[in-house]
Amino acid sequence: MEKANFKLPAYLLIIMNALGFLLLFMANDYRANVLYVGLGLLGLFILIYSILVICNMGDKFLVLIASMLMTLGVLMLCRLDIIMGARQIVWICIGGMVFFVTYCIYYNIRFWNRMWFLYAAGGIILFVLTLVLGKTVNGSRNWISFGPLSFQPSEIIKIFYIMFLACHYSGSWTKPFLRLSPTLMTGAVTYVYILFLVLQRDWGTILVVFLIFIFMIYVYEEQKWFLFANIASAAVVAAFGYLFLYHIQVRVGVWLDPWADVSNKGYQIAQSLFAIAAGGYFGRGLGNGAPDYIPEVHTDFIFSAICEEMGVFGGAAVIILFFLLAYRCFKITLNTKNLYNKAVGLGITLMFALQTFIIIGGVTKFIPLTGITLPFVSYGGTSVVVSFASLGIMQAISALEARKGGTERDENE
Amino acid sequence: MKTNRRIIRVLIVVSALFLALLSYLLYFNMFEAERVSTNPYNRRQWDDERYVTRGTIYDADGLVLAETVENESGGVMRKYPQGRIYSHVIGYCSQVYGKSLLEREYDSELLGKGDLDLFQGDKKKGFDLNLTIANSLQKYAYEQMRGKRGALVAMNPQTGKILAMISLPDFDPNAATLEKSWGDIVENENSPLIARAVQGLYPPGSTYKIVTAAAAYENGLAGTKFNDEGKFTVGDLTVENYNGKKYGEISIEKAFAVSSNQVFCSVGFELGSEIIKEISERFWIGKSIEFDLQTAASRIEYKKMSDSDSALVAIGQGQLLTTPMEMAVICSAIANGGEIIRPYLVDSITKNETVVKSSKEKVLGRAISEECAEYVKERMIETVNEGTGTKARISGVTVAGKTGTAENENEKDHAWFVGFAPAETPEIAVAVILENDGRSGGDSAAPIARNVMSRYLSSVK
Repeated sequence: MEKANFKLPAYLLIIMNALGFLLLFMANDYRANVLYVGLGLLGLFILIYSILVICNMGDKFLVLIASMLMTLGVLMLCRLDIIMGARQIVWICIGGMVFFVTYCIYYNIRFWNRMWFLYAAGGIILFVLTLVLGKTVNGSRNWISFGPLSFQPSEIIKIFYIMFLACHYSGSWTKPFLRLSPTLMTGAVTYVYILFLVLQRDWGTILVVFLIFIFMIYVYEEQKWFLFANIASAAVVAAFGYLFLYHIQVRVGVWLDPWADVSNKGYQIAQSLFAIAAGGYFGRGLGNGAPDYIPEVHTDFIFSAICEEMGVFGGAAVIILFFLLAYRCFKITLNTKNLYNKAVGLGITLMFALQTFIIIGGVTKFIPLTGITLPFVSYGGTSVVVSFASLGIMQAISALEARKGGTERDENE
Repeated sequence: MKTNRRIIRVLIVVSALFLALLSYLLYFNMFEAERVSTNPYNRRQWDDERYVTRGTIYDADGLVLAETVENESGGVMRKYPQGRIYSHVIGYCSQVYGKSLLEREYDSELLGKGDLDLFQGDKKKGFDLNLTIANSLQKYAYEQMRGKRGALVAMNPQTGKILAMISLPDFDPNAATLEKSWGDIVENENSPLIARAVQGLYPPGSTYKIVTAAAAYENGLAGTKFNDEGKFTVGDLTVENYNGKKYGEISIEKAFAVSSNQVFCSVGFELGSEIIKEISERFWIGKSIEFDLQTAASRIEYKKMSDSDSALVAIGQGQLLTTPMEMAVICSAIANGGEIIRPYLVDSITKNETVVKSSKEKVLGRAISEECAEYVKERMIETVNEGTGTKARISGVTVAGKTGTAENENEKDHAWFVGFAPAETPEIAVAVILENDGRSGGDSAAPIARNVMSRYLSSVK
């Protein structure tokens, strides 16, 4: 068994926090609230990490990488608006609890693989609720509010969807349902989900869901025709959407040439590109840029703000951190013997990786922009809590495997 | 295990995606960021201006051409005391419509970027620019060109210093007037926003015979006699001499002075497309000239150039398009013994009268040999003394020049003149074009060039 040194990255995290918030404190006219936020965040990380290490809860790196990403996110949010940064810490606090709760539940329940119907139905119920109760934010009708609290059900649906897919692909669900084989059933549910997402105009989530589906088919499906049939149908649907859906035409048009209509349709992406271009390699320095010119800078466009003030190298660091997170998740998935856990692990890994690629690619104009949050970095309760929950599942999977395979090692030590 | 093998392939795909993101981000920063950040819609460009007073632009004698002043409400405003005269040299600087020409190209210098002097009070001051242009000559040239449409470029053929540069029609660059009249300016069919001197592409007409004559000399055609019947015909191409004149038996030298199309078409045809294309490239056709402002690349636009095409190019017609700046550079090459010299407009960048950076003369390449340049210069002197360019004569000074009357589809001819003086030790080279003037270059453009050269020579004495 590997015995990596996880203390060094932990120190790096502490140094990064200390330096980052000290810098922000100096840039912010020495107002102490920045330091309180920084200390709070660091305390939170140390607490979460200590519990993790003391209780020997599997992989030691996942949380460290996520913490580093959250540090960058909170730093940027505090720089934009200290109140927002403080609120984000509250969400991280709640997220941390959700992390441990998810971990315990997932760790202790062994019949996840038999509940495919619940996941599929739960997803659809959430979708219907969104359509009935939802309100429209930035052109996407994907929010539900309860009084002052509001959340994005599509974030939660993604996890249901992954667990649903895993039931089939781990081979735990073999009986046909309404004469439909599980293979066809997964396809049907996927397309129903996508249909709901189209109604909500949540293009980013459609992309994530569909790509997870395609990668899962690639890995697990023996019949190659099913993979090709899905890719072909996606191509047809995409072409159809481009020809007949104004929303998609606008997005593609703006991607090809944002400068044609800078003051309207191209405004967002142009502001994002201005910010990235202003940053150069090393950035304009924390507090020296003007990221507030970008609309939605605290959620979808936070990467552009990081690029403006921390430079392309700062942006590259974020990309590399996400790659490390994905790599670590892949490693856990590969080491897992339990078929169901393996499929869930793969799904969550893909969710982290694809979501990152889609939003960072979008705000840099590498691919057409579809609004979606950057896990752990973007502001927002649902995003932070669901990212933590996904991490909790991943952590539980790693712990389950370590516990099983580690019995021998424990005796040796 | 099969599943794991496939998962590893997925891992490879995901790694490729992340690598693509990283590479794109670097690519964007290396190749696109600069263009993106100077977009007029980028509000950041004006952020710096809150902390820095934009530098002043002076002429060669220290006269203010552009300065930033505070207005009544405490905001800042860019003022151009000379009005329209420099609208196509300095450009404009408007919070609404962005920046152009020098204001754009030298934006970071004017904002003092890279100035590490930290002890200078509350508001920093950007660097100042000192131009090579003296206002007296620029103003005189502007008056000569007044009411016309076209361009004038005057430069020192030995050093490349720009002495005057006019493009017309123009506009008032002062922000308040500019913003009020922007709609009219943009919709005006004469495009007053185009800096014709560096961005305008025209057929050079007979002024291009300078290049053809150089090619003829290099290929041993000097002294050859031709029989001029007033008309050049090959295949279905027919080119007549200006006003249908016939010169009979004529030497190539005389044909240059009287600007015979028949003779020069024959030369172009006989030398063939490869030779014409190659010498054009040596004279910087097909490349944009390195300059303080963005210049359009003069070019020969044929996909595949035939020998009858080269007959047309030899007299500056066909698919050949040049900028007035390019013609001034070609003319300077003849004047300075065959070298393509880099023109420049900003003489030095200073801060509180201390020089931060000063421009140096630079030879971009050699077009022709000194003997060849001398041969063409003789032809140009003859042109002014006894050929089509007699209206460019200055008493007591030898002038070398070439006229051009360029045909263009459906519209009246462009009148051209390029020349330099004094021919023995050239101090000024001028290119003048009058768009759709209708008259010949010798009649309309030559006098303007003469006046500008004469004025300059008398002022330096």
